[in-house]
Amino acid sequence: MTPWLVVLAVGAGSYLFRISMLVVAARRGVPLLAERIARHAVPVSFAVIATGGLADQLTASTDAVAPIGAAAFAVVAVRRTGSPHAALVVGMPALWLLSAVAPG
Amino acid sequence: MTLATTPAIALEAPPDARRAHLMAGARAMAPWLLGVAPFGLVIGISAAQADIPTFAGWLTGPLVFAGSAQVATIQLLDDGASPLVVIAAALAINLRLVLYSATMAPHWHGTSRRWQALAGYLLVDPTLAVGVDGYERAQHPTHGHLRYLGAGVALWVTWLGAIAVGATAGASLPSGLHLEMVIPLFLIGELVPRLGDRTARRAALAAAVLAIATQGVPLHLGALLAILGGLAVALATEPRAQEVPA
Repeated sequence: MTPWLVVLAVGAGSYLFRISMLVVAARRGVPLLAERIARHAVPVSFAVIATGGLADQLTASTDAVAPIGAAAFAVVAVRRTGSPHAALVVGMPALWLLSAVAPG
Repeated sequence: MTLATTPAIALEAPPDARRAHLMAGARAMAPWLLGVAPFGLVIGISAAQADIPTFAGWLTGPLVFAGSAQVATIQLLDDGASPLVVIAAALAINLRLVLYSATMAPHWHGTSRRWQALAGYLLVDPTLAVGVDGYERAQHPTHGHLRYLGAGVALWVTWLGAIAVGATAGASLPSGLHLEMVIPLFLIGELVPRLGDRTARRAALAAAVLAIATQGVPLHLGALLAILGGLAVALATEPRAQEVPA
């Protein structure tokens, strides 16, 4: 399946989610299991994809310090500021700095 | 145009009033636009850097129209994950749209199919927030519909424009910038504030450990297993209704 079809399938599925309850909810309400899964799906999926992306960086590069250090700086920055944007604002400069001082 | 066929919207308001409600919706969306525009740029840059056709990455904008699922789709396609994994992961993230749909259903009850098709397409976190607020403020459902439409169109144009700018600029940026780390860092930024309760922390930790442990699984099915594992931990450890303080 090409990336085009995957994007199309994700788009079609997302659209069905958007209109699903316009048809169903009026009669049957939202299934409880869907409600519970929806509550947890975002943090769980983000944890998996972020970890996978970071692991890919570690295997693709001889320099493990820079990506791990940048991720650590990003976590600290977000926790201290409460702003999700701080992860990029702090993490990317940290990555560049660490890559410069600890080249692979 | 949909407005002309929608019972609640049809010709009840004069053109000037309609325009005023549309603009009110667009203005209510303005603060959100400041936040989502950089997110769109990041997605565009990621699409340009990923090992997929840049236009396919951009196409996630109009087709998926939900940033988190777009990020997941682009990142997992770039990783070489199997189509099933990409689709399952992105739809798991977008499952919340079912709840949004249920939230808006009472407001759109009795409107035409064409209006529901358009309004449903525009439904995502910012339009839900602005839309619900607009319906609560509106003196007539027609006004709420128009505000929702104004907000949704403002978001749609800004979102697709930001992704296009990012995709155009991203292709010409040097590899020394390590832009492949943009998405992992972005996701860290979105993840950390969501780890406020114990259930979320346990589930995210279990999912992250499983993601590492299943790295070698063919077709990147490990990502799907990790998501399912994390969800299982969340469902098993979340407080029951009677344990939640009233």
